[in-house]
Amino acid sequence: MARFILRRLAGLVFVLLGVSLLTFFLAQIVPVDPAATALGSNAREEQIVAYRQQLGLDQPPPVQYLNYVQRLLRGDLGQSIRTRRPVIDDLIDYLPATIELSLAAMLVAVLIGVPLGMLASLRRNSWLDAGARLFALVGGSMPIFYIGLLALGIFYRQLRWLPGPGRLDATMQPPTQITGLFTVDALLTGNWPVLGNALSHLLLPALVLGYFSAAVLLRMTRSSMLEMMGQDYVRTARAKGLGEQIIVGRHVFKNALPPILTTVGITFGSLLSGAVLTETIFSWPGLGRYATTSVTTLDYPAVMGVTLVAAFIYPLVNTVVDIGYSVIDPRIRVN
Amino acid sequence: MKTFRCLTAPATRWLGLFVLLSLLLSACAAPAAAPTSGDQPAAPTAGEQAGAPAVGGEVSREDTLVFAADQTDIITLDPAVAYEFGGILPAGNMYETLVSFNPGDPGVLVPVLATSWDVADDGDMWKLTFNLDPNAKFASGNPVTAEDVAFSWGRAIDINKSPAFLLIDVCQIAKENVTAVDAATLELKLPKTVSPQVCLAVLTFTTAAVVEKAALEPNMGSDMGESWLNDHSAGSGPYVLNKWDRSVNVTLDVNPTYWGGTVPAMKRVIIQNTPELANLQAAIETGDADIAQDLGSEQAAALEGNPDLTLVRGLSTLLVYVGMNATKAPLDNPDVREAIRYAINYDDIITLLGGNAELVQEIIPIGFLGHTGNNPFTQDIAKAKELLAKAGVAEGTEINFIVPTATAPGGVEWSTVAAKIQSDVAQIGLTLNIQQLQQSELLNIYRAQGGELVMINWGPDFPDPDGNVTPFANYDAKSLAFRNDWNDPKAIEMSKQAAIELDPAKRTELYAELVDYVMHNGPYIMLYQPTRIFGVRNNVEGFMYDPNDTPTTSFWLISKK
Repeated sequence: MARFILRRLAGLVFVLLGVSLLTFFLAQIVPVDPAATALGSNAREEQIVAYRQQLGLDQPPPVQYLNYVQRLLRGDLGQSIRTRRPVIDDLIDYLPATIELSLAAMLVAVLIGVPLGMLASLRRNSWLDAGARLFALVGGSMPIFYIGLLALGIFYRQLRWLPGPGRLDATMQPPTQITGLFTVDALLTGNWPVLGNALSHLLLPALVLGYFSAAVLLRMTRSSMLEMMGQDYVRTARAKGLGEQIIVGRHVFKNALPPILTTVGITFGSLLSGAVLTETIFSWPGLGRYATTSVTTLDYPAVMGVTLVAAFIYPLVNTVVDIGYSVIDPRIRVN
Repeated sequence: MKTFRCLTAPATRWLGLFVLLSLLLSACAAPAAAPTSGDQPAAPTAGEQAGAPAVGGEVSREDTLVFAADQTDIITLDPAVAYEFGGILPAGNMYETLVSFNPGDPGVLVPVLATSWDVADDGDMWKLTFNLDPNAKFASGNPVTAEDVAFSWGRAIDINKSPAFLLIDVCQIAKENVTAVDAATLELKLPKTVSPQVCLAVLTFTTAAVVEKAALEPNMGSDMGESWLNDHSAGSGPYVLNKWDRSVNVTLDVNPTYWGGTVPAMKRVIIQNTPELANLQAAIETGDADIAQDLGSEQAAALEGNPDLTLVRGLSTLLVYVGMNATKAPLDNPDVREAIRYAINYDDIITLLGGNAELVQEIIPIGFLGHTGNNPFTQDIAKAKELLAKAGVAEGTEINFIVPTATAPGGVEWSTVAAKIQSDVAQIGLTLNIQQLQQSELLNIYRAQGGELVMINWGPDFPDPDGNVTPFANYDAKSLAFRNDWNDPKAIEMSKQAAIELDPAKRTELYAELVDYVMHNGPYIMLYQPTRIFGVRNNVEGFMYDPNDTPTTSFWLISKK
């Protein structure tokens, strides 16, 4: 197991190098001066030249890249051109919000997608199956921003059942920071009013973001289950007179789980990096919004920081999924 | 792993899943949690500082003002560094300057930290003497002294960030020319080339605000205290910093020992970052916010007639215009430029903007000294054609027209305004080729004198007509006149003369003459001055927006009923 993890980590270094190289040179193609952009329309030439020098942008691109990698090896992601703070500090501010939202959305997706997919496969071609498939179809085809706006319009503006955008009410002070996830921190510090408020704020964006993934998981679960139910050993199990519960639980679901787990891993990775629209609509101060602002202001150290974090998380989640395979299926060994 | 084969009870399977989920959770939470505990010691809020008044704690919703605005641009709360609307608003409510404009009273300087000031001719220099208010004290309780002022200005000059040019270049303040004569007297010497009027206007801006030397000195660090001031305040203003939650909001608490008159009614002010217009509308509609800044015209239309709130419109200081490069044919001929000015239907553009703008055809905005209110251009196709014929420009001549992407001030797309101009100018036989560029890319071309027609906006750097006139008229300032390659000695001379004139009446006269000259000879089509729309809940009293004042919204004037 340890060797496996080490090998994965070594691979990760190459992935990160590749990603940084790609991002860096893509940024070079854009015909805009980030220093001038950061200083605004009233900036004078001397200021721009000075800032460009300060950022090292006056050096040839390969030298810039080497400097960047050198700093990166020391764990320094550089300084944001726009916020003028170390990128790592910015990421620390924005990342927990995204992780909280993604985890909540994942929870929604798993809790809705998997059971509904199972039910749909067990009651194949029933009204329930049709309903689940319709649910999946809508989730897969409706743009997330539309669902988000609709949900906000109904539950916040019209019915006032749920609070508006943001992680907390404006007047509510965030809990003492431990993990940066408001719900977890509030729970750990026993701050019940903040916990309730954070949960109520989390509900809508998590449902909206989780809906799409729930749809994907539902289809995967349904098809994977159906495939397993047609297998010989299931027929044998039935022939042996095993109860339906045991057949479904022990034989079908367990064997249908690997592809579902893969899908969970993939969707979680894309949730983390792809929550941009949801974060924008729900004023959710996460990585997606940071990335959008950074891209539009050509703040490429920040863009590279975000990209590297995404590039880091994705393989990490995949590794966890791989380990998970061996847990659910002993025939698979990570070594 | 073999053991798992034996453990086939359903409970174990779920246990496995649970372990997996926990792994995911801990793996992802770790990078966020670790650095916060290590690198960032829990920053004490201003209230935990020795000597500072107690802030934080619970404040009721009635005593809290929630001000929703797009704060995406905020990068600092240090008054010496802030040069973005998002940072100036909170900084302006926490720090005070020697003099200020009276909110809602454009152009009139009033005392703040200085009770009086005097401008004297000191041979080859101007000598400005400020007498400080002996009652003025910081939130810490320490008095505001001339030493603090000299320290603060010197610090802003040394830090030399975005707004420092106001002190260094516009005022030409050298550190050795700022002297604390005694605790209550400050002397400032300026070169004769600088207008004391202009400099006094600059001194109303947050860059010249006074920070407490004693509070800052132990916390200077490697960046002269810049990062410390992002989490603490050290000012004398009506509010102190409770917390800046970088991506979410800035929370200000009242300075309970505020020296300047009554303690503000709003015990806490939360400036909530709300970049999405739909969310801004929802926030003011539901009452989650008490004031919403910069509603779009669509949102304003939807909120019109809402019994719970009032829409307040105020002019911004921006001017939207088209620059015409004065050395590129056919625009190098003043008659052609005048012809284009007569080809445009300006009223249609205002209508296009849903009325969220005022027609302004001069380079000085409404609300500034020297604004004439003359709008001589109305669409006159015959006259425009005549001017073109006189210039000998052939029908169908093509001109490149670059415009930014996204929304123009006033709330419609830049391209929509551009298309209107294109169709108007087509009526006199000129073909405009519109090209949309991202604003920063457009500015790169514009700065390098590479544009032919360029549509963009300008906002003055300080609340004095010179903040517009020098960029628009003086080629040597390397600003707008330069970008349009318009090197006109007469305009340059007039702008210099008007800037240093001390007598307001004479100055107004000089500006009127200059404005008229640039209007017909310059390289600009001035289009409009956009309005900003605020939504204000009915229980909020005392809200005022003053584009010239720093801050533009003074929270200490606001109360709730």
